[in-house]
Amino acid sequence: MGGHVMNARENLVRQALEGLEVSDGDLVRLHRDPDFVTRADPARDKVALVSGGGSGHEPLHTGFVGRGMLDAAVPGDVFASPNALQVRAAIEAADTGRGTVLVIKNYTGDVLNFNIAADLLSKTHTVETVLVDDDLATRSEDEGGPGRRGTAAVVVTEKVCGAAAEAGAPVERVRDLGREVVSRSATLGMSFQAPVNPLTGLRSFELEEGEIEFGVGIHGERGIETRPAAEAADLVESLTSPLVESLGLGRGAPVLAVVNGLGATHGLELSVAALELRRCLEGQGLRLERTLVGPYVTSLDMKGVSITLTALNDELAELWDAPVLTTALR
Amino acid sequence: MTDTGDAARLSGPDTKAWFLAFADRISRGADDLTDLDRRAGDGDFGWNIDTSLGRARSALDGIDAAHPAEVFKTVSDTFLASGGTSGPLFGLWFGRVAHGPEAPWTVADLASVFDTATAAVQRLGGAQVGQKTMVDAMVPAVQALAGSATDGWREALGEAAEAAHAGAESTGGMVARKGRASYLGERAADVVDPGALSIAWFFASAADV
Repeated sequence: MGGHVMNARENLVRQALEGLEVSDGDLVRLHRDPDFVTRADPARDKVALVSGGGSGHEPLHTGFVGRGMLDAAVPGDVFASPNALQVRAAIEAADTGRGTVLVIKNYTGDVLNFNIAADLLSKTHTVETVLVDDDLATRSEDEGGPGRRGTAAVVVTEKVCGAAAEAGAPVERVRDLGREVVSRSATLGMSFQAPVNPLTGLRSFELEEGEIEFGVGIHGERGIETRPAAEAADLVESLTSPLVESLGLGRGAPVLAVVNGLGATHGLELSVAALELRRCLEGQGLRLERTLVGPYVTSLDMKGVSITLTALNDELAELWDAPVLTTALR
Repeated sequence: MTDTGDAARLSGPDTKAWFLAFADRISRGADDLTDLDRRAGDGDFGWNIDTSLGRARSALDGIDAAHPAEVFKTVSDTFLASGGTSGPLFGLWFGRVAHGPEAPWTVADLASVFDTATAAVQRLGGAQVGQKTMVDAMVPAVQALAGSATDGWREALGEAAEAAHAGAESTGGMVARKGRASYLGERAADVVDPGALSIAWFFASAADV
């Protein structure tokens, strides 16, 4: 298996989860058959927050399990939804009797399996859902279509909902805050090089020298357009301006930004992106009040970056600032 | 304690026998289902449902089958563990049926549990009648159960099977709008939906109990 740290393909995800217990056993615990991850020290009396989805986006979602964020994360195989049995078991383990909020990225398999799990528990559990569909590169207007993809705004959603749940908010309030974050957020991503799937050894698309792919998601799929490469200032501007427009941000609006590495783009470059992002936002009269910079929602080893903007208000800012202790965010 | 049921009340052991007959029917027909799916979808349907029912067969070996709900719950879990779309939706359907009473079921119980279960599949799967999916067999079966004049579960399930069969056959003239077959549109219009056919076989298998 050249180029990848792995044993048998079918063990990749399970072994990565077992490794997470090695590095962070004080924070997270792996439950097996069906597989899901919970806090090592579970909360006792609060709304439970559960998320999950395909693997290959680490540290999402297992890296956000801990005080102030998720109670449980449910990983599927690489880029594949977890099954409904896993989700159901995670809800049953996390629910303290105060109800559960599921944070679901908008993909057909995730939506189906998370909703089936919630439906089958409807006799015994209160389960509410927040659907994250922030990717501006995908269309939301097609009637009956799948709608926009869920990408890095999921981190903001999990942070805000997690803080609210920790502070004792009831299940409907945690749900509504999550939906508010989603409605106030948008994301765009670009790629310099597609990821190689360790299960197949294949790079998911090819770019010529001097080309970038604009409007990519987080599963190695092509974006909406192949464009010529550009300097950081222009790249960041091309990602940011459509977000500002789509969110209808006026002068003086307070903004939270996630400058997200998509897997193989170095922290050095992400910091340059953050600098250019502030320049770009300030140039439009916006106030960049909070930032999160780093590889948080990755697409295996894709080279590239995504930018998420969330229109802040005082309540969301306060929840964003609340203490958090997870493997990826603290 | 296991209530053995009677002609008016479907028992746990009856339900177990029903599923074992269904698993046999699917095993015999898996190649036909796969062939239908190859013409209208991605060709893995027969294998997937056969695999889930194979696991269900082993799981059913280990339970008391005290009442139908326990049997449906056990089978549901084996489908929920599968990927794709059809498997989880079968799992949802059987899992919602398992919300029924923890005692033998009358015809009225059957009508009620299959009604709520089918509504859940329609809601979460987003499919209505006429879209060439398993729903095209489920809905007529539910209507047959609700309208059944008989007190015997065998007869009522037989009526459901006939209705489901007619519903499945009707998918042979439909253009798909949901699921894999929707990618082929008109080209797959004459192919019977394998999910709907499986539902018809499910109800028909009750006759072998």
